[in-house]
Amino acid sequence: MLILARKPGEAIAIGDGIKIRVLEIKGGQVKIGVEAPAEVMVHREEIYLRIVEENTRAAEAPADLSSLASVFSTDKTRIKPQQSGK
Amino acid sequence: MHAMATTTCTEKHGEITVSTSRFGQLSVTPEKIITMTSPFLGFPGSKRFIIKPHGEESPFLWLQSLDDPKLAFVVTQAAILIPQYQPEISAPVRQELQALPEHPLDILLILTIPRENPEGMTANLLGPVAINPQTRLAKQVLQDPTRYDACWPVFTMEHAE
Repeated sequence: MLILARKPGEAIAIGDGIKIRVLEIKGGQVKIGVEAPAEVMVHREEIYLRIVEENTRAAEAPADLSSLASVFSTDKTRIKPQQSGK
Repeated sequence: MHAMATTTCTEKHGEITVSTSRFGQLSVTPEKIITMTSPFLGFPGSKRFIIKPHGEESPFLWLQSLDDPKLAFVVTQAAILIPQYQPEISAPVRQELQALPEHPLDILLILTIPRENPEGMTANLLGPVAINPQTRLAKQVLQDPTRYDACWPVFTMEHAE
């Protein structure tokens, strides 16, 4: 890992389009400003990891969802059948 | 069929035939293909998907990858599951999806269905999928984690109206 020391107001440039600037250091917290092209997703790491985890779990669905038919017949939810396909 | 490791696409008469691990061979017309402007987090290799209804009476849809035969999500229309759900879709995201101001976006929710316990099904409200039906461009749009849960239980008696 590349480690760089920066003071408030100073920045790091990544490639041509990304800048990460230290804005403020206060009370054990660092405020960071990120400038990046719109197509580059910027997220807090824990949220990113949460979505990766949930996407991965969701992708394990079996092809046969017939077991769900019984779940729906119990009328425990407000889910209604769709009128027609999109 | 489940051992298929690569996607094979063959084009004929405008239709594309794709091998999938769950559904075997699927014929897809190119106009039906949904393209992710950025891939699902955790699945960088899949940009093209199709929507395959689970059945006529089913609220479930499959979002099947055309780039990875094994990758498919079970999704449902947010409007059906939670009519009051209003995810925030920013102007840059709308622009990315090439959505004109008057164009409403379709919002799909990804469902996680535990194999042994389908009643434990949850919907991912933190990462809904926004689709522009005009351009068929789509993106998973992350929401505020203080407002929305990645594992919202679908089956409870306590849903707020």
